[in-house]
Amino acid sequence: MLLAELDAEILARRREIVAALRSIVPDGVVADDAGLAAFDGDALTAYRQKALVCVLPRTKDEVSAILRYAAEAGVPIVPRGAGTSLSGGALPRGDAILVSLTRMNRIVEIDYENRCVVAEPGVTNLAITRAVEARGFYYAPDPSSQIACTVGGNVAENSGGIHCLKYGLTTNNLLGVEIALAGGARITLGGKTLGQSGFDLLGVVAGSEGLLGVVVEATLRILPKPPVTRTLLAAFRDVPAAGQCVADVIAAGIIPAAMEFMDRRCIEAVEDYCAPGYPRDADGVLIVEIDGIEAEVSDGIARVIAIARAAGAHAVREAADEAERARLWAGRKAAFPAMGRLAPDMLCMDGTIPRRALPEVLARMAAMAKDYDLGFCNVFHAGDGNLHPLIIFDVMKPGELERAEEFGAEILRLCVAVGGVLTGEHGVGVEKRDLMPAMFSETDLAQQQRLKCAFDSAGLFNPGKVFPTLSACVEQGHMHVKAGRIPFPNLPRL
Amino acid sequence: MTDIAAHSEADVVEAVRAAREWKSPLNIVGARTKRAFGRAVAGWGTVLDLSGLSGVVAYEPEELILTVRPGTKVAEIETLLAAKNQRLGFDPADWGPLFGASAGAGTIGGAIAADVAGSGAVRHGRVRDHLLGFHAVNGLGEAYKAGGRVVKNVTGFDLPKLMCGSFGTLGPLTEVTLRIFPKPPLSATLAVRDIVAQEGLALLRRVWSSPLDATGLAYIPASVAFAGLESGAALIRLDGAREPLREKVAALRALLCASDMREIEEGDALFRKLGDGAPFFGNAFDVWRVAVPPASTAGCAAEIASPFWYADWAGGMLWVGSDPQDAEAPAKLRAIAMRAGGHATLMRASEDSRAQIPIFQPEPPERAALTRAVKAAFDPLGLFNPGRMFEGV
Repeated sequence: MLLAELDAEILARRREIVAALRSIVPDGVVADDAGLAAFDGDALTAYRQKALVCVLPRTKDEVSAILRYAAEAGVPIVPRGAGTSLSGGALPRGDAILVSLTRMNRIVEIDYENRCVVAEPGVTNLAITRAVEARGFYYAPDPSSQIACTVGGNVAENSGGIHCLKYGLTTNNLLGVEIALAGGARITLGGKTLGQSGFDLLGVVAGSEGLLGVVVEATLRILPKPPVTRTLLAAFRDVPAAGQCVADVIAAGIIPAAMEFMDRRCIEAVEDYCAPGYPRDADGVLIVEIDGIEAEVSDGIARVIAIARAAGAHAVREAADEAERARLWAGRKAAFPAMGRLAPDMLCMDGTIPRRALPEVLARMAAMAKDYDLGFCNVFHAGDGNLHPLIIFDVMKPGELERAEEFGAEILRLCVAVGGVLTGEHGVGVEKRDLMPAMFSETDLAQQQRLKCAFDSAGLFNPGKVFPTLSACVEQGHMHVKAGRIPFPNLPRL
Repeated sequence: MTDIAAHSEADVVEAVRAAREWKSPLNIVGARTKRAFGRAVAGWGTVLDLSGLSGVVAYEPEELILTVRPGTKVAEIETLLAAKNQRLGFDPADWGPLFGASAGAGTIGGAIAADVAGSGAVRHGRVRDHLLGFHAVNGLGEAYKAGGRVVKNVTGFDLPKLMCGSFGTLGPLTEVTLRIFPKPPLSATLAVRDIVAQEGLALLRRVWSSPLDATGLAYIPASVAFAGLESGAALIRLDGAREPLREKVAALRALLCASDMREIEEGDALFRKLGDGAPFFGNAFDVWRVAVPPASTAGCAAEIASPFWYADWAGGMLWVGSDPQDAEAPAKLRAIAMRAGGHATLMRASEDSRAQIPIFQPEPPERAALTRAVKAAFDPLGLFNPGRMFEGV
């Protein structure tokens, strides 16, 4: 992946930009080399770049002032939460202001009567649940980074987790935001109501990857915690049988809280790593979790067991108690470190496929892996078709990073070819930016970019992410000119 | 120019290109059941009729996915899904009869354009939570697509959300993909009677905050006396297989300690009627939908002081009748909604009223500017249903 050339004109103004930001947030500007190194990337670790300067506002007004200044000075900004993006959504640019929202970390209001929490963008995902669990509530989206990732980042990336089929992604659990727009003006979209007036701008802000504005406050739906959760493991000797089981569960009208598939390579890796007790003779295992009230869960579990046996599972085991349940999940949650132990570097891919295509996709992936000569395994949110191939490699070995990226890209192109999409929950960022044409035509992408221009005509928000080519915003046939400068002066013009 | 009846995406592209050339706006319609919902605008151009652009493209029950053309009737889709024990998750309301059209005639394109979520939306969300992808034609006369055909997707901007409730002002849809839900095996509707608004609404919120997963939570005051419920009634719908449902009903009784709670027959039909606005069929009120935070509902209803109202979505959605002769009513309603952090939409009113009273809550300047910019991003010449939502949009 090629990162954009830096804008020399902005670099030349660095001293003045840093001074201006210091006047806005006196105690929250990081401009020294060592300090910026702490912010030089996110969880897409293969890419690093130090920001021009990093600013850490504490208030909405400071965010507005920063955006006002950025617009006047024509300097791009990159918003950042905890930096856990797996797609490089928070990757800084050497010619852009990095706006870190982590100091805006207050829960503003817990409103049990209206079943929502109002939070600043820097509050962590898990902190929402922690704040309301004593009263029997929780916040449903649970990305695996939930201990660290922030609400603002979750909104920007429309984060998911393992419970999406039943409880939706961030966008389905987001009631409102206050967002600072280009130039610093703030507007409120949605609120504590179910539904908003006018265009559903809240819907496009969710998952906009920092390209439309900076979320300074979010209102999140909290759910009553189901009283009973039970979990079972079903092991299959072949992948099509596991796929059939998933299809049959859905066809039976059961919506499990979670339904996770792991392939043989993943089973072996986690058994070697933490021995959760998955059968090593299986080609794939399914973890199925059902939640709700007691009778509902008993009924669901009994039906899933029958379906799994009928589909050919050779071992079905329900967790007898909370300890065993935790053990079943420990294996799934250890997939990352277990694979990470086998090689120094890892790419975690994220496509969605129609569930029925799973056997075909896994078979073709195995063939590809031979060509690329790289290790990999698959975890799969089987309920919603979200596939996470983990590719292991060694960045120190010449050519391995490139091979791993090409392997990953080929997998994602395959996901699209079988009727799926490039990303189910990690976002496009820089990682999948250049793959967008595999899914969208030029016309499709141009339409999305026109929406971007409606929010950010100067193209200052998170440039270089999501779209493979930056097309300048055109207003009545003229290039948008702000502060006497055209956007992206270093880009070739059409 | 006479009406254009489109039967293919190519027809729609051609119509938009012609409209561009003649600088003549298009009045995009499906079955025309909700034509009287929206601002009354004089001199709309050519009718672009999408009712013939219909039919199922793909129905994959095991993937929980349905792809159809926009002119397909919602009633046909519901029949198709029911045969596989599935349904549309947003519990489509049929607003046609509220505007004098016949029941069961509306199209899925119209349902998306007006975001017609019914009572079940309290549990499963509105149309916007179920539209996964679409094909459409933009104001440049280009066919494009957005979203995808899988239930979990974050590739690119979520344009499907934007299309829901945009009343065709962002362009004609030519194909839509919806997320499908399993149909619950059984459902039970329970009514707590003889309960005043304040208490009835508080009771609904208690159920809403419990793990019973209620799929319908409505309150009908005594003054409305709809469906024989003459004394003020809180209605609760629960879903499930036989045993689980029995347990849920028992848990509900324990939760509410309500002595006078009885199961009522035809609960699904009753909730459907509430979603459709049926209590207003045939009466002379102007009809408003007022979205407020559920805990504010009782206070708002008291302040609005309409003789004819009811609440759905655990109180989150108030249906309110106002006297068409009361010139103060719209501003008063909007002020009450706004103070509560909500908004009011004028659903049904005379053409004269709809020419004068804003249909949607007026937007503050920055938001209004963004609305216009978003409109221009899809429709720079203002060809699609101009003015139907806001003046100049």
